[in-house]
Amino acid sequence: MAESKKTNRQKELGLTGFIFRPMWLTLKQTLKSSRHRPNTVQYPWEKLVLPDVYRGRPGLRFEKCIGCGICMRMCPTRCIDLLEVDDIKHEEGKPPAKVKRPRVNVGRCMMCGYCAEYCPTDAMIVTPEYELASYTREEMIYDPYKLQFAGVPGNEVHILEVLPSELKKDVPPRPHVKNVDLPVVEDKKCIGCSRCAKDCPVEAVKMVEVGVNEKGRPIKRPVFDKEKCVSCETCVEVCPKSALTLQEVQ
Amino acid sequence: MYLDIWQLLTGLVHWLMVNIIGAILGWIGFHGVEHWLGTPGVLNFVTIIVVGLVVFIVGMLVSITLIWQERKELGRLMDRRGTQVGPIGLFQNFADALKVLVKEHIVPEAADSMVYNVAPVIIIGVSLMMMVTIPYSPGFYMSNSQLSVLLTLALFGVVPFAVLLGGWASNNKYTLIGGMRAAAQIIAYEVPLLLSVVGVVILAGSLNFFDIVAWQQSHVWLVLPMIIGAIVFTISMIAELERVPFDLPEAEAELVEGWGTEYGGMRFGLIMMSEYARGFIGSSMITLLFLGGWDMPAFLNFIPDGIWFLAKVFIVFGIIIWIRGALPRVRTDQILNLGWRRLLPLAVVNIAIAIAFKTLGWF
Repeated sequence: MAESKKTNRQKELGLTGFIFRPMWLTLKQTLKSSRHRPNTVQYPWEKLVLPDVYRGRPGLRFEKCIGCGICMRMCPTRCIDLLEVDDIKHEEGKPPAKVKRPRVNVGRCMMCGYCAEYCPTDAMIVTPEYELASYTREEMIYDPYKLQFAGVPGNEVHILEVLPSELKKDVPPRPHVKNVDLPVVEDKKCIGCSRCAKDCPVEAVKMVEVGVNEKGRPIKRPVFDKEKCVSCETCVEVCPKSALTLQEVQ
Repeated sequence: MYLDIWQLLTGLVHWLMVNIIGAILGWIGFHGVEHWLGTPGVLNFVTIIVVGLVVFIVGMLVSITLIWQERKELGRLMDRRGTQVGPIGLFQNFADALKVLVKEHIVPEAADSMVYNVAPVIIIGVSLMMMVTIPYSPGFYMSNSQLSVLLTLALFGVVPFAVLLGGWASNNKYTLIGGMRAAAQIIAYEVPLLLSVVGVVILAGSLNFFDIVAWQQSHVWLVLPMIIGAIVFTISMIAELERVPFDLPEAEAELVEGWGTEYGGMRFGLIMMSEYARGFIGSSMITLLFLGGWDMPAFLNFIPDGIWFLAKVFIVFGIIIWIRGALPRVRTDQILNLGWRRLLPLAVVNIAIAIAFKTLGWF
């Protein structure tokens, strides 16, 4: 009986915990917020200072982009597609070259910044622009020219890695190891059509003659340059016989 | 220093009725009407209506200001800004009133239509009627009844009844629970509320607000000898006003909007408004009974009595807002526990102290 009474006492907060301490806390808070400004940001007139890596809408550096399409494949909401557009830089008198550049449906974008994280050339960046409202849905689709954003050096975001064993040793996080995947060719299926070499955005594919067939024509097989490859999967997609797969290469 | 509105408005009405309207009517030729307008009965009647109108308008304005004060102070308590429309947010309430004014009035299909419509009328009417008894200064009042304290407390007791009616008539489980809680709550706080006033009445020897304030002016503010009574009265009054931490009938986190869930549009707006009108009456009762009403230190005599009284009311209401911001809501059993086992004995002790002071002749 005595014990149950004791536990009841402890459960009830009593005057101090139930009345005096909250009153004192709120009084302190009131005095503090009366002396300084309240925490509210009056949004349309005041805006918060955003960090460089704030993940607003994605931005594009047109010259840096190689049109590999990693952003398109990585996008969780599938709001990016590649569009063939005229290059910005072209010599006088000549028609501009056609290049592939990403187009983003910002209305569907969820501002995760994966496109910027995985971009091999840092052409895709995150921007501090978040006021994206428009009157029509067509305005929400940003073509490559509209998507351009000059950006500051801090706008690139990278995947940083740190191993669990290094957590307590103050090892600074290092960039994500790139080019871990390489396309591997299945010899039986390959017909040596050179589509992969033609479409590779970084020219990492070379067609090498490995022999001669019965008719005396050379047999060509693709060889992948490990240094140049950005693991963009373009060759895997364009291969007419599905002879290529991306595999992890040690 | 105070303005006697009875004297002022009697003169004004006499001047209007006799010297302006009466003169015009006499010039036209209606000599009978001119004489009738000049009779004391008509003049008295018009004066009473005009004074009532002035007191009503002032009370409503003070209530609106209390809403503004609550929103601003709660904002500071929660580290935000509160109302923003107009200079320091003063026009927000008028904007809200305009908004609820244009809303449609809907009666639920299953509701008891007559009782549903009558309940807010009772609440609003009773809340505004209480302004009759409250004096702002020796010259600014509507009525000077000998039993004004008792009348105010009796009117306070009507509101939970109307809350129960409205909650039952809405035919909704939340409103019914809210109304029942109001009925359960009144049992807890009404007795200590009345008993804590008894101490004041014993010492001051009157049930009239003017006499009580006059006694405090000649002796001492009653909050000093009657400190227990003042605390009990304040807690009971917060329960009476149905404010946090005792807002059981309107528990927003549990019961949607409590007993008023089905009321919308201007009815909701007026019920909300009348809640703050009652808040004003409650704060001014605490001020009049315990804080000396319009009593002031002698060197501050240049400030008018009415201003002094309203300043005290705003401070008392500020403390009530502070309590609202700090404390969580109690349960039904907890408020009954608090009312019967803590506040009631304290109120009785308060009466004993008052009797002791009176018999010893200290005050």
